[in-house]
Amino acid sequence: MNDEELTTMVRESFAGVRTTTPAEQIVSRGRTARARRRIPALAGALAVAAAVALAVTSLLPGTHQAASPRPAAQLAAWTVTRQADGTIRVTIRELRNPAGLQGKLRADGVPASVTLIGHQNPSCQRYPASPGLLQRVIARTFEVLPTPHQGPPANMPDRALSLVLVMLIDPSALPSGTGVQLATTFTLLPPVVANGGVENVAHGLVERGLVYASAQCTG
Amino acid sequence: MGVRTQRLDFAEFYRRSADNCLRAVLVSVGDRDMAQDLVDEAFTRAFASWRTVGRHPAPSAWVVRTALNANISWWRRRRREVPVPDPGMVAGPAAAGAAADSPVDPTIMAALMRLPTRQRQVVALRLFLDLDTARTAEVLGIAPSTVKAHLARAIASLRDDLMPERQQEIPS
Repeated sequence: MNDEELTTMVRESFAGVRTTTPAEQIVSRGRTARARRRIPALAGALAVAAAVALAVTSLLPGTHQAASPRPAAQLAAWTVTRQADGTIRVTIRELRNPAGLQGKLRADGVPASVTLIGHQNPSCQRYPASPGLLQRVIARTFEVLPTPHQGPPANMPDRALSLVLVMLIDPSALPSGTGVQLATTFTLLPPVVANGGVENVAHGLVERGLVYASAQCTG
Repeated sequence: MGVRTQRLDFAEFYRRSADNCLRAVLVSVGDRDMAQDLVDEAFTRAFASWRTVGRHPAPSAWVVRTALNANISWWRRRRREVPVPDPGMVAGPAAAGAAADSPVDPTIMAALMRLPTRQRQVVALRLFLDLDTARTAEVLGIAPSTVKAHLARAIASLRDDLMPERQQEIPS
């Protein structure tokens, strides 16, 4: 058996592997995904969206890698830290457990509703916050942190860059009877070969808003 | 391009390439259900960005690459909960057991699972997506010569693993 016959045998052994998902189901899910991306434009004052697409070269100079050591604990999907001035710093890498983040914020005294985009709590009623007020309550910054590669597939460089969303929530700036609403996605897009290197592109989307506080919405 | 035309193009692309993308991802991850989930997610993203993906020189490669990236995220999540071995290091009997529900010959599946991850990815892209060396190299971000070397080693390993089995099946 020559190489071609061997590869043909391997290929033909997979002939019985066929997708079980109808195209219509994919299209339906895709439409939902598109709609979620459009929510910021549609939701007006509720969703002041922060959408960023960031392309960064994966293979950093060694000095950069060594210059930014980060404790492993920061590799968690999100972290919440109360700061000395009373503000709450929220760092989001991936919002995989929105209920957990919501519980943590509430435990820190912030009436909050946190979900994935497209799954906002229907019990929540929008509070008409001006952009200035929203920025005072939920200030947002971005950071790019070197993230050690953790596992297979082994084709990733030693270090990849992740886009990290950082928000500062100031509970004292919340109008009486209101809370915060956060909805987020975080997607690592396929690597792109460009400029002589491999670039990883991360796409993050966070919707911020204020809502009227209620037991059903903000706990 | 109108919405309806766009939808028809995607449907045609899905009809032509979904099975091969699934096979390529299955070779890479070794688990039928996971491969189906990853491919479904990747095609969903492809549809959502079809204006861009539809112009990609190899959209099926985009889908497989996206599925494998989603698998990295899955692996990272899983790793925080329970340490799991590299699928590429799974031994023959375990891989054969995992493939028990698969329509693929378990001996062939086990042989593929014994290949290092990179070799499996090259096999997946070359055999199931029919990508040439240059495109495979571009998708994986490695040199074309490395693709050739991985493929040669993979075929040699498969031959060592599979040929004795096949020869035993020949009546004497």
